[in-house]
Amino acid sequence: MEHRWGMAIDLDRCTGCEACVAACHAENNLPLSDPAEAEKGRAFHWIRVDRYYEGEFPDIRMKYMPVLCQQCEDAPCEPVCPTYATYHNAEGLNVQVYNRCVGTRYCGNNCPYSVRFFNWFEPEWPEPLELQHNPDVSIRPGGVMEKCTFCIQRIQRAKRDAKAEDRAITDGEVQPACVQSCPAEAMTFGDLDDPESKVSRLAASGRATRLLEDLGTKPKVFYLQRAK
Amino acid sequence: MVLTADFGDPQSVASAIQALKARGYRADEIDVFSTAPVELAEALLERPSRMSLVAVTSAVVFCLSAIAFVHYTQHDYPIVTGGMPIFSWWSTGVIFYEFTMFGSISATFVMFLIESGLLKRRRSLPAPLLEEGRIYLRLFCEAGDAVPAAECLYEAGALKVDEAEVRG
Amino acid sequence: MDTAVDTHTDNLRDTLWRPLAGASRGYALALAVTFLLGAWGLACWGYQIVRGIGVAGIRRPTMWGLYLVNFVFWIGISHAGTLISAILRLTDAGWRKPVTRIAEAITVFALMIGAMFPIIHLGRPLVFFWLIPYPNSRLLWPNFRSPLLWDLTAILTYLSGSIIYLYLPLIPDLAELAQHANGWRGRLYRLLSIGWTGSDRQWHALERAMHRMAGMILAVAVSVHTVVAWDFAMAVAPLWHSTIFGPYFVAGAIFSGIAALLVAMAIIRRLLHLEAYVLPVHFDNLGKLLFLMSLLWFYFTVSENLTTWYGNSPAEMNVFGSRVRGPFAPYFWVMIFCNFVLPFLLLSSRRMRSVRNVTIAGVTVLIGMWLERYLIILPTLSYPRLAAATGFYKPTWVEVSITVSTFAAMAMFYLIFCKLFPAIAVWEYKHGSHR
Repeated sequence: MEHRWGMAIDLDRCTGCEACVAACHAENNLPLSDPAEAEKGRAFHWIRVDRYYEGEFPDIRMKYMPVLCQQCEDAPCEPVCPTYATYHNAEGLNVQVYNRCVGTRYCGNNCPYSVRFFNWFEPEWPEPLELQHNPDVSIRPGGVMEKCTFCIQRIQRAKRDAKAEDRAITDGEVQPACVQSCPAEAMTFGDLDDPESKVSRLAASGRATRLLEDLGTKPKVFYLQRAK
Repeated sequence: MVLTADFGDPQSVASAIQALKARGYRADEIDVFSTAPVELAEALLERPSRMSLVAVTSAVVFCLSAIAFVHYTQHDYPIVTGGMPIFSWWSTGVIFYEFTMFGSISATFVMFLIESGLLKRRRSLPAPLLEEGRIYLRLFCEAGDAVPAAECLYEAGALKVDEAEVRG
Repeated sequence: MDTAVDTHTDNLRDTLWRPLAGASRGYALALAVTFLLGAWGLACWGYQIVRGIGVAGIRRPTMWGLYLVNFVFWIGISHAGTLISAILRLTDAGWRKPVTRIAEAITVFALMIGAMFPIIHLGRPLVFFWLIPYPNSRLLWPNFRSPLLWDLTAILTYLSGSIIYLYLPLIPDLAELAQHANGWRGRLYRLLSIGWTGSDRQWHALERAMHRMAGMILAVAVSVHTVVAWDFAMAVAPLWHSTIFGPYFVAGAIFSGIAALLVAMAIIRRLLHLEAYVLPVHFDNLGKLLFLMSLLWFYFTVSENLTTWYGNSPAEMNVFGSRVRGPFAPYFWVMIFCNFVLPFLLLSSRRMRSVRNVTIAGVTVLIGMWLERYLIILPTLSYPRLAAATGFYKPTWVEVSITVSTFAAMAMFYLIFCKLFPAIAVWEYKHGSHR
């Protein structure tokens, strides 16, 4: 509709510091996992930093790739949900409605990026961390799927602010927690429908690729890197 | 008046039925009872059946209702689905197929209940107590015709013929 | 000729009705054991509901585990019955008569068990009914395009169809039992026989209905397992997204169904002393059928794996490699041995196809087919497209308990069924004595 949110991540700038991961945890009330659970693959990281190695050991070059929900236009997770818990909203966001989810986890299996996280138990926070929850983000019950929302609460706030002041949202006004906290300024967020926005220009630049593009999922996260 | 004849083999039952039909009895006045199905010539006791017709009709009705229902549900309370089609023949085809089959299965079961007469208690009054290897023929007839009909049954090979009054 | 047949069927009736009467000590013990195991499984499920699905070993990325393996397995077993009995009925194979009811009962129980697993597997099992379309306060209908909705309709259709298919030919036997039984059994049989008198109208209607049901149940059974296959094939995951999955699963289901039928036949024959009715020729014939399905299964497996290997696409080769030489290789080769090598040795020659050998082949095929479902679900999930998400699954005691308890539940249902109803359709067996 009026917006089509997208993100560009400059892999040449990313240092792999994981500030985005920490910021996301704090912003989105992600449940904490103890080491045993984390070892079982049950830790929650709506954004994670994948590591790739180039060259032969010891002569290697490390490359980092932050992977979050790609907010696909044709998302494989959507049609398989029996209860419409995951669906596409008018702004092209791939949203998850926790209350509708019955926990079949089909969407999780059908996500080629493995960015969907399941609440295996009721979430718990060690004291006093339950006091620092973000009031704008709901706490998910046990047994439902969750994933990156592009910080939809920040998008909503920006829209409300703009409406109250009777103006359009300016480019760069909405910043998800990961974008805001990136010290290398590798991440850019904005409206892909606005050809003048920074993210549109980056997406149109020759450096942009998309992850597993050949699957036809049409992700809205663009990775920028030097053309080889 | 009800006559119940007791036979030892299917051939004599067949000739009894032929003789009764020659006397003007209709197939729906005759019942044959046995502990296992008796093979009789097709035309001998015609039992018209609409089972296939009803099953097919019901299949079509269920299929169409399934299509209508799915179409209705996807357009009622419409949710925003972005790029996804709200109603798609490919991916709801399985549902329509299953509903079609369910329609024809349930109609077959219902038609079984109806055509077997299991739902009609009235007709099933004096059913003979079955004995292994025996075949019983029950005939509804006018009181005046009972004696010649019984003779006809004995001639065909009945071992025993009982008479009873029908009430109601 | 008549007398010989009649004494035979009279004996059959005695043999079949004897086990219905009392309960031996062994029977009570078996019932108690299977009941306790089943109850343990239910207790585990209760624990899982209270504590959260996390007590199972599933994780990211292997979000489906043993529960779904069991789901596919039991739905496959359910094809024993109905499908085989329907094929044999439609082709009018005379030798089918002593085995059809055994097979049809397997179907109903295996379906009841199999249909439980998707619910056990849910993250929020208490709201499973949100998949059922009904007007609700959430102002939402379910998504009919989800394969899980296809599953729901297919399984419900199949379950109701196979219950009818089991029940119809049971009616004459129930009427006959009702004449001889009294007390609560008499009341039960009278109620269930719904006034059957054995009139030719009823026989006609029954035979007509059974003939049509056999055709329809066949069509539904094929669709059910195809839909189960499509749960996987509709996903874009490597080695799941395969067009061969529908027929591959149907063939596998019939394969494991015959195996389950053979094992059930062997057990019932021994326990109910039906040696004079369930004959070596039945094992021989079903053994041939099992052999045929083993070859078909192997053919499908080769086609599936050869095309993958030749195509050499990286994401698929990851999964393929993990199966034939990676961490899943032991299961894979045991599966090949159980499903192909051993059945080939035991079933290909007439001399080898003894009752004992055919039963052994049945048992190994059951093991092999369970492994096959494990190998279809887990390697694909363990190796997602992005290598960073790779992860391996280890079942927990909760999952193992629930799995074991379903086998016990199957045995328990069968014990109860054999105590209430004759294991062979007496009238069908007799049918022909009047010819």
